[in-house]
Amino acid sequence: MTGTSRWRALKHALVLALGGVFFFLPLVATFLFSLRGKKDTLGFSAYEHVFADPQFYATFAFSFEMALATVVLGLVLLVPTVLWIHLRAPRLRALVEGFALLPFVVPPIVLVFGLIKLYSRPPFDLVTTPLLLVAGYIVIAFPYLFRSLDAGMRALDLKSLTEAAQSLGAGTVTTLFRVILPNLRTSLLGAAFLTFAIVLGELTLAVLLAWPAFGPYMALVGRDLAYEPAALAVVSFALTWLFIGLLQLITRTKGR
Amino acid sequence: MAYLTLTNITKTFGTARAVERFDLEVERGEFISLLGGSGCGKTTTLRMIAGFETPTSGTIHIGGTEVEHLPPRKRNVGFVFQNYALFPNLTVAGNVAFGLVVARQKKDLRSARVTELLELIHMTELADRYPHQLSGGQQQRVALARALAPEPKLLLLDEPLSALDAKNRQRLRQEIRDIQQKLGITTLYVTHDQEEALAISDRVVVMDKGRIEQVGTPQEIYQRPASAFTSGFIGTLNRLAGVWELPAQGVVRVGSLHLRTLPQADATAGAPVALGIRPEALVWNGHSANSLPGVIVSSVFLGPTTRHTLQVDGQRLLFDRPNQAGRPTPAVGDEILLTLDPADLLVL
Amino acid sequence: MKLPSWSGLLPFLLFALAFLVLPAGNLLIGAFLDKGGGFTLDNFAHLARPGIVKSYVTTLQISAFSAAGGVVFGFLLAYAVTLGGLPKGLKSFLLTFSGVASNFAGVPLAFTFIATLGRVGLVTTVLSTVFGIDLYDAGFNLYSFWGLSLTYLYFQIPLMVLLITPALEAMKPSWREAAESLGAGSLTYWRRVGLPVLVPALLASFIMLFGNAFGAYATAYAMTGGLLNLVPILIGAQIRGDVLHDPNLGYALALGMVFLMTLSIFAYLALQKQTSRWLT
Repeated sequence: MTGTSRWRALKHALVLALGGVFFFLPLVATFLFSLRGKKDTLGFSAYEHVFADPQFYATFAFSFEMALATVVLGLVLLVPTVLWIHLRAPRLRALVEGFALLPFVVPPIVLVFGLIKLYSRPPFDLVTTPLLLVAGYIVIAFPYLFRSLDAGMRALDLKSLTEAAQSLGAGTVTTLFRVILPNLRTSLLGAAFLTFAIVLGELTLAVLLAWPAFGPYMALVGRDLAYEPAALAVVSFALTWLFIGLLQLITRTKGR
Repeated sequence: MAYLTLTNITKTFGTARAVERFDLEVERGEFISLLGGSGCGKTTTLRMIAGFETPTSGTIHIGGTEVEHLPPRKRNVGFVFQNYALFPNLTVAGNVAFGLVVARQKKDLRSARVTELLELIHMTELADRYPHQLSGGQQQRVALARALAPEPKLLLLDEPLSALDAKNRQRLRQEIRDIQQKLGITTLYVTHDQEEALAISDRVVVMDKGRIEQVGTPQEIYQRPASAFTSGFIGTLNRLAGVWELPAQGVVRVGSLHLRTLPQADATAGAPVALGIRPEALVWNGHSANSLPGVIVSSVFLGPTTRHTLQVDGQRLLFDRPNQAGRPTPAVGDEILLTLDPADLLVL
Repeated sequence: MKLPSWSGLLPFLLFALAFLVLPAGNLLIGAFLDKGGGFTLDNFAHLARPGIVKSYVTTLQISAFSAAGGVVFGFLLAYAVTLGGLPKGLKSFLLTFSGVASNFAGVPLAFTFIATLGRVGLVTTVLSTVFGIDLYDAGFNLYSFWGLSLTYLYFQIPLMVLLITPALEAMKPSWREAAESLGAGSLTYWRRVGLPVLVPALLASFIMLFGNAFGAYATAYAMTGGLLNLVPILIGAQIRGDVLHDPNLGYALALGMVFLMTLSIFAYLALQKQTSRWLT
């Protein structure tokens, strides 16, 4: 390595180090902050309070259910759709892509406003059912689901794969479940985990549709308490990393 | 001293040796090809001349100046890349002008030079196009013009045609050769395509595993391969193991056959000798001192020629024969007699 | 019998219609109606109220500032790990981390910054007790414009890293080499080739980041409890309790937002097209 390229690498290492401070200092600070639940001693009392609160479990369970429902229903809706535009209707791709991008234009706060206005009175009084919440989450997840599935299918050369399967005598159902979906595992999982993580801590839709979800619960804790919110932030960050870690583990095993 | 001299160049990446003790002298105006398989060090050598890599040891002189510690921008060497590497934000004219702009050449001089080069590559009408609007062949012609614009001391081309289809490849290689001869610019050309190297070069440098195997004119390389590697890499070759009988008269024994090659005074009778015959050097029913009787085992029609496989004295030989409509061709199972000029029996 | 090509898309299209297009379209129509249901443009005139104009200005400022900061620092980080000659492992780590952090918006993020830079946050405390610097006396306030912008950077920078890395990876090393062999130094290369090639991608990323901050509700809500005067917060308040005493004005507020976002997405798509031409 010559002198100049060593200087260049040093400059970039410096940028990275600064970035490291910006991203890790708050995490470290939050963790230390969360340990100060009892006066003048470091300890896990803030975590004890959090985990002792029945509301924590109730809201977490609710959000968990919503996230699961969103992932399952979202995939059931989008996998056939994206498959269809790849295999049967490539010309309608722009239409689907447009709809899948639309949530970027209509942010959650606007979306929930529209949903409430349309579905809070007869004939469609849906605000009282969690279905509307899940529907909203699926819409928010559109871009993530679409992109991940689209990229996965594009990498597969679906057409030859289906034709090969069918020339070997496989029917549509066999082709879908034994050939296509197993090959899409990575992108399916990627989309599922990301959607799951987003929905689990979501606030906007849940709070404005007035559901006892994990996001609003955390916000409430933040309003009333000092150290417990920091503990919650640590728990939620750890959970996200757990999901990502699991995802990496699964995709890597598949890579072999 | 030659115009371009590489002396004892070695380049290592970690523990891997990419180029080893490479010596080459190139005269002004010569067209030299570096030929070899992938990983033979030909591209690394070219990149060291351009300055993109620094040799681990050894010296490079261009026009009498030692350059190996100069950065690329101070070497005044034109480089053409395999992937064209045109600047996507600039037009054809903008790309060609780049080196002149960097050198702060006056605007009228610059545009005159750009016009001249676009004429040279026959792309005057496409001056305002962007690279993504051009075909691969057009892009590579622009890349050539861009490299030539600042009147470099050397032109270096790194597999410039390998991303093109066969038709374009042949046309463009002739165009490159014509432009090179017209400008008289000293040129090094890296390729893995032996036909390309033979077709356009003054001299060919055959490389393998970072070392030079042979340097010579295309004829020398093809007809007098100096090593087993060269003979195997270039063209198709029948290899035979023989023993010298009368070296002074060029007589060798191969199995039960006695064959004549060119006399070789320094060989000793009874010593083993490796021999080679090009498939197209064999003649059916010809007149020569050498004759090889054989049985045709298989025939493959290749268009201009037919390639026959023969069983000759326990060995398999390939024999190529030009196709002519209406001319009788030997069939599988026929016993035929092949003849061979002594000059075509290569001693390897 | 072969089904028509649109039939397989029916479930998706119906769903999108019911839960995305109709609700948004309903707001759009509502924005042009008065309380009695007649056509009016008054709602847009009312957007010119000082309070609402101010909320738009503040939201635009925070979005622009956090987007600009995200673009600059995200670019530097992505550049360092892609073209900076650093170990390869750093890149995959940064990309994975960015995938997590770009979605770390919302309540936990607000808590993290409150615990760090809030009035009794750890960094605030350490600075004042150890170094004698009182951030809040010096004019800093986490619950204000600068504080929120800084907090937004925590998801804006990683988003930028994710957006710009593919473009940086598509920059051919041979461009730089070609420029060098034609006599250009590093500065000339960046001025004449590197930056011009990246400009569409940089602008597109800026727009994406801008929209991302503009629509962000959760972080601001959890951090300031709805005190900071931002458009999303105002819409939220409108939904909860009709503080403006005029739902149609709320629709106009939302419509203004959708309008700005639509503008940006079209600019984004146009720039993206340019990028894909140059960087493939």
